[in-house]
Amino acid sequence: MWSTFVSAVGFGVVLASIISVAAMGFTIQFGLTNVLNLSFGAVMTVAAFVAYLANSHGVGGWSDLAIGGVAGAALTLLLGRGIFKPYARRGAQLFEMMMVTLGLSLIIDYAVQAISHNNIYQYAVLPSRPFQLGAILITHTQLIIVFISIGVLVGLLALLRLTKVGKALRAMAADPDLARACGIRTGQIVVVTWLLSGFLCGLAGVVYIINTQSVGYTTGELFLPLVVAAAILGGAGSPLGAVLASLIMGIVTEVVSAFGSDSYSTVAGFGILVLVLLSRPGSVRGGQAGHTQLTL
Amino acid sequence: MRLRKIPAAVAACGLAASAMATAATAEGRHASGGSLTVAGVIALTGSSDFEGQNQVGGLYPALYAINKAGGVLGDKLVFKGVDTRGDPADALPAVQQMLATTSNLVAVAGPDTSSAPTIVPVLNSAKIPMMAVAGESVYDRNTAPYFWRLFPPDAANGTAMTLWAKRKGYTKVAAVFGTDSGSQGDKPGVIQSMKALHLTLVANVDLTPSQPTYLSSVRKVIASHPQVIMTESDATTAGTFFGELKQLGGLVPIVGTEATFTSPWLTAVKGALGTSDFLKDYTGLITAPSKTTPAVKAYQQAVTAVKGQEPKPWQSYLSNPFSITYYDGMVSVALAMVASKSTKPSVFNNAIPSVTNPGKGKMVVYTFAQGKAALAAGKKIQYVGATGLIDFDRWHNSFGNQEAVKSAASLKPISLGVVTAQQIEAVPVKGA
Repeated sequence: MWSTFVSAVGFGVVLASIISVAAMGFTIQFGLTNVLNLSFGAVMTVAAFVAYLANSHGVGGWSDLAIGGVAGAALTLLLGRGIFKPYARRGAQLFEMMMVTLGLSLIIDYAVQAISHNNIYQYAVLPSRPFQLGAILITHTQLIIVFISIGVLVGLLALLRLTKVGKALRAMAADPDLARACGIRTGQIVVVTWLLSGFLCGLAGVVYIINTQSVGYTTGELFLPLVVAAAILGGAGSPLGAVLASLIMGIVTEVVSAFGSDSYSTVAGFGILVLVLLSRPGSVRGGQAGHTQLTL
Repeated sequence: MRLRKIPAAVAACGLAASAMATAATAEGRHASGGSLTVAGVIALTGSSDFEGQNQVGGLYPALYAINKAGGVLGDKLVFKGVDTRGDPADALPAVQQMLATTSNLVAVAGPDTSSAPTIVPVLNSAKIPMMAVAGESVYDRNTAPYFWRLFPPDAANGTAMTLWAKRKGYTKVAAVFGTDSGSQGDKPGVIQSMKALHLTLVANVDLTPSQPTYLSSVRKVIASHPQVIMTESDATTAGTFFGELKQLGGLVPIVGTEATFTSPWLTAVKGALGTSDFLKDYTGLITAPSKTTPAVKAYQQAVTAVKGQEPKPWQSYLSNPFSITYYDGMVSVALAMVASKSTKPSVFNNAIPSVTNPGKGKMVVYTFAQGKAALAAGKKIQYVGATGLIDFDRWHNSFGNQEAVKSAASLKPISLGVVTAQQIEAVPVKGA
């Protein structure tokens, strides 16, 4: 009983690590721009496929993480500057922009589906053997994924707290008008936001396929609800909140799965989200307290 | 007062238009000048789009073979895809539009499992024969006269899997099924057959599709020490689950349903397990196809002839059990039209068993061309298809033997043995 619980908590940490990399990227972008970007999952898929292609052309191993991250950053910047910004200039508000991102998500998903001929492709970066870590049976790959997640969190917190860019990001997330009045080049900070969230999005896509060892056109689309849930649960704009929320969702999901039925595990995970939204309905409005404008 | 009448008038016009369209569909077959439409009512997009690929993988070769032999009563058959997206809410308007706009519709391939409960009554009312590949037990005692099923019910496939496991000497079984309706269909057959055959169910795990990990479920399976896993789920779920099972050192032989022997599932699991483990550990129970009869050769020749049209990789449709079933279904429908000398569904629908079921004095034919020639010579025929013997019962169901196969690296089936229809029927399954 105890070992099952410990084991489930361990598995929950692995699941949380996979979710949290994407959730940190999502929450940074949502918190600063107020765009509930539903094309995030599609970008993950594209980045995962880019990493797969790199891998299948001999650029192997863990460098795929960087390749996927760069692909995600480039595509996100392209969408942010080339599509979201023009729509915002034409007066699109939160809901309209969400519909734009939804449409974009479908376009990208179907394009990837067509190009990939609907197939699922094997992606085995490092076949690793399991080992016992206390009561937890885990693989080296999964352990590395946990460390990647911790590394991303530490790096992101350091960036936000110790650098000028990070301070500007936080200032804009708190109040974009005041930040602009204080001389912060908000346009450049938005570009940094797209690049940063896009990089984490791409990185998350590769982390996801490292764990599942396969890539298909639904890779990111299926992952998106968990990412959005964790970002909202943790409070928009807060990487630490996103990680804690991912941990709660991951551990609850795996504990319910271990002691009950897997059918109810996801229900339990999202049940927590519903409870939080009931108690904190404002959390879906984005990171800028009192602001409902897009910052693009 | 007048305003109140408007909605009623609009509704009446709509009903009238719908009735006229249905009438045109049912009666005016030759209005389009030498072509008859066969509609594929199935998921062509969305997460179940592989069902559409399985279907066209068999329909294109069927239409090629039929049209190459001169078509049906001088008319060519043409294909029209109707996308259900695997969702009844999308399927219903798509089918209603099809019925309203397709004046020369003679038959439907489908509908798919998820939309069948909604669509079968609609097509039955419109008197359009359906060749369905829906395994639900509700159709085991089908009463819709225009519904035909050339496919084993899910329960029969589950029973065949259990019989195979017993034959291989396994006594402890883990059942791992996706929570989607398609995957859950076979599970009662597996569970009930295990009880009947005195096998022990050591783990019963349901997988919510497409989660990032299934680690707790994997641990549950490993802790139960099964000798074999019986399974069906979508490809992505299966790839993740079995990949994690292997990573954690719990891989045991896998026996999959017929639905697992499709290109996406095989590719995903082969990718997750690696080729050598996959070839060693996976067995699928499929509608017995691999005995090389002239019908199988004709099917494979037709697939090769239309390989440019087939979904990729086209070679996978040479042995795809779903594609072969749709092929046989459409050839049977075309032969029924020839036999009844009519392309009117209400006429040829009743002739379908007369060209397939065994009978005294019937000439066995393996292709549409052979059947057409024999009928022209005044003979009675029995079409033995690429799936083997076709023998529709009073509920319009026909299924034959099941074959245990492993997959070659090229995803072609390699026969391991046969579970006969008699053996399946002899298992006293209750409540499946």
